[in-house]
Amino acid sequence: MVALARLMVVGFIVLSVIYVCLSLYSRAVRKGKLRAEWEEGAKDQPLDTFLDEGLAEYDKSLRRKLILSVYVIPLILVSVVVYLTNFA
Amino acid sequence: MFSLIRWTFWISVWVLIAAFFHYTLPQVDIVRVTDTYEKRIDPGENSLFWAQADVGSDGTLANRDVFFIQTRRVDGDVMVYRNEDTGWGWPPYFKFDTSNLQAEAGDLRSTEAAARYVAIKHYGWRNEFLTIFPNAISVRAVEGPDASKGIPWLNIVILTLFAAVTYGVWVRWRRFRMARIDPTMEAIEDDLAEASGAVTGWFGSWRKKG
Repeated sequence: MVALARLMVVGFIVLSVIYVCLSLYSRAVRKGKLRAEWEEGAKDQPLDTFLDEGLAEYDKSLRRKLILSVYVIPLILVSVVVYLTNFA
Repeated sequence: MFSLIRWTFWISVWVLIAAFFHYTLPQVDIVRVTDTYEKRIDPGENSLFWAQADVGSDGTLANRDVFFIQTRRVDGDVMVYRNEDTGWGWPPYFKFDTSNLQAEAGDLRSTEAAARYVAIKHYGWRNEFLTIFPNAISVRAVEGPDASKGIPWLNIVILTLFAAVTYGVWVRWRRFRMARIDPTMEAIEDDLAEASGAVTGWFGSWRKKG
C-alpha cells in the first residue's frame, strides 16, 4: 500500500504541475487571440471589457474542461497496462 | 580540448539514455523452458537490478525468495529469468501476477527430446558479474523455434515520442540560443577585444615614453 500511495502522491504532484502550466498557457493563447480579434473588429467596446467577456466564455467552454484529461489519460493508461500485464 | 570534453559528455549522455531504454523496454525471446525454481536472494550492490517484495508483503526485510525460470534459447545459449512483481514501482509494467506466471512457466516446461517453444516477454539484463537477471513479464506457447516475435508496437511508440520530444526541446533551445545568448556573447567578446586593445595601447604609449 505504501508503494501505491507513493505512486499516487508523486503522480498527482507531477500531473498537477502539468495541469497548471497547460491551463495558464491555454488561457494566454486565448487572450492573445481575443486581442487580435479586437484589433481586427469594430472596437465598439473597450479592450478590457472585450477580453473579460471573452475569457469568461472561455472559462465555461469544453476546451478548458478537456485539460482535465491530463489526469484522466494516465489513469486510463495505468488501468490498461494493469489489465494487459496481469489478466489478458 | 573543450570540444573533446563536449563530445565525451554528449556520448556518455546518449549511451546512458540508450542503456536506460534497452534495460526498461520489453523484449521478446523464443526459448524452451527447462525448469523453474525459487531461491533466497539477498540483494546487495546489485539491488538496483532487483525489484521489491511482492505487493502487500513486508518490503523492509533484507532478503526474500525469488522465482526463477531457467530456459534454453533457440541458438542453444542458456538464459535464466527472474520472476518478480514490479508492483506500483519502476519500471511501470504493473506486474502483480508473479505466482501465476510461475505456474504458467512450469506448465510449459519441456525436454530437448520433446521441445516446446515459448515466447517470453521480459525487460532487463543478464549479467554474470553482477548476478542480475532479466525479469519475465509473460509467457505464451508458440509453434516452433522460428515463430514470429511480433512487431514491438509499444517500443516504436515510446521511442518515437521520445525522439519527438527531444527534437522539440533541441530546436527551441537552439532558436533561443541564436536569438538571445549568441548576440550577448559576441557583444561581450567585442567589448573585451576593444578593452584589451585600449589597455595595450595605453601600455604602448607608456612604453614609448620610457
